Amino acid sequence: MKRISALAVALAIALWALPGHADPAAGEAAFKASDCTACHYTDGPAKEKTIDDQLAKKGPELWYAGSKFQKEWLQAWLQDPAPIRQMKFNSVTEANPGDHPKLAAADAANVSDFLMGLTSDAVEAGVVKPKKNAKGRLIFTKKMPCSGCHQYEGRKKKLMGGRSGPSLVGVGKRLNPDWIYAYLLTPEIFKPVKAMPVFVGLLSEKDMKNVASYVANFK
Amino acid sequence: MMAKYTIFAALVVILGLAAPAAGQAQDIDVEKVFKFYCAQCHGVGGKGDGPNVTENFPVSPRNFTNPEEMNKLTNADIKNVVMDGGPAMSKSPMMPPWGKTLSEAEVDALIGYLRVLCNCKGKEG
Ligand code: HEC
Ligand code: HEC
Ligand code: HEC
Repeated sequence: MKRISALAVALAIALWALPGHADPAAGEAAFKASDCTACHYTDGPAKEKTIDDQLAKKGPELWYAGSKFQKEWLQAWLQDPAPIRQMKFNSVTEANPGDHPKLAAADAANVSDFLMGLTSDAVEAGVVKPKKNAKGRLIFTKKMPCSGCHQYEGRKKKLMGGRSGPSLVGVGKRLNPDWIYAYLLTPEIFKPVKAMPVFVGLLSEKDMKNVASYVANFK
Repeated sequence: MMAKYTIFAALVVILGLAAPAAGQAQDIDVEKVFKFYCAQCHGVGGKGDGPNVTENFPVSPRNFTNPEEMNKLTNADIKNVVMDGGPAMSKSPMMPPWGKTLSEAEVDALIGYLRVLCNCKGKEG
């Protein structure tokens, strides 16, 4: 067993060396070798059942990363991981220390290939188009408390909104619009235990699409 | 013989009915529920000073340690606003609706927790 994993690592290293050649298998090996598994799990479905399960996690689940993120953003972020959440993960008192591990360019290419292969079939493609959606804007800023917990850019690029949820500034480059809708529609699949309220039954499917489309347009 | 069995059966039924209800109440760690969901805006100590309350937050979340304010609300008012959100009580939509997120038992436990924080009984009714 040990010999096989040593071989796998050797193979992975050999593959990273190939210039410009991104490889999901090498990415998986690099993910393990870089100890990413200490804080992230990559096998679905969701494992969290209680608040304790959620609080025990040291980082967000990545088992549907390929459905959630945009590849270009992911590859760049792994090399230069600027804070996404303003608060430290799972904390309402401490600020995000901004100390996420960094990957070198070749590893980042392979790891993002590996992560983009982790998808959920609860995300239907081509449903939500990013737009300056007026109905979505009204829901986000006035009718529902979204802006109370999420940072976004108001007029003249003024940073507005709350701090407990991930910042939504730049979501247009970061998240897959269809995932945003799927997350609102079936939150129990992605995040069964989370500090964000469930909006199923409070927002119609149409309004979930409207607000997803509005958020997906954030530059 | 028969009578003994009947008593035994009755006991099983009574215990069976009582156990799940008691179990549920015990399962709720209300402080944990409060800190996970409500502290984002109301603050860990319930003073209305959670991390979301920045200078551009439109309204102050209720300070649960203020008995004067909290005494204006009945327990039914609290339940209503927690389940259906601010607008259900003509308050700001920044107070989210939690009815699809929390169980009714959790909301009931939270009402008790808020009454401990304010050290007040609330309006009758
Ligand atoms: C010590 C724990 C820890 C380790 C080790 C770690 N991460 Fe993270 N990771 C986090 C935390 C915490 C966040 C949230 C960061 C933020 O919001 O700014 C995060 C966020 C992410 C995200 C974005 C997920 C999301 O839903 O926002 C990706 C992708 C990611 N990490 C990949 C990796 C990779 C690849 C590695 C290995 C090189 C790694 N992480 C190692 C803790 C960790
Ligand atoms: C009470 C605070 C709160 C409110 C209100 C709220 N959210 Fe969230 N939201 C969160 C938190 C906390 C998370 C992170 C959940 C997790 O990863 O466990 C989140 C996650 C998200 C994400 C995923 C972001 C990412 O990078 O992982 C999106 C998109 C989102 N919310 C949109 C919305 C929209 C749209 C609304 C209004 C309809 C809304 N939120 C209302 C707290 C909130
Ligand atoms: C996104 C921020 C936010 C979160 C999270 C939040 N609240 Fe509130 N809450 C508010 C705001 C803002 C007000 C004040 C509304 C107003 O005065 O118009 C409020 C008011 C209240 C009130 C007083 C209502 C009244 O009629 O005076 C109660 C009770 C309450 N919240 C309970 C809770 C409980 C319990 C939780 C957790 C399950 C919670 N809140 C989570 C923002 C929030």
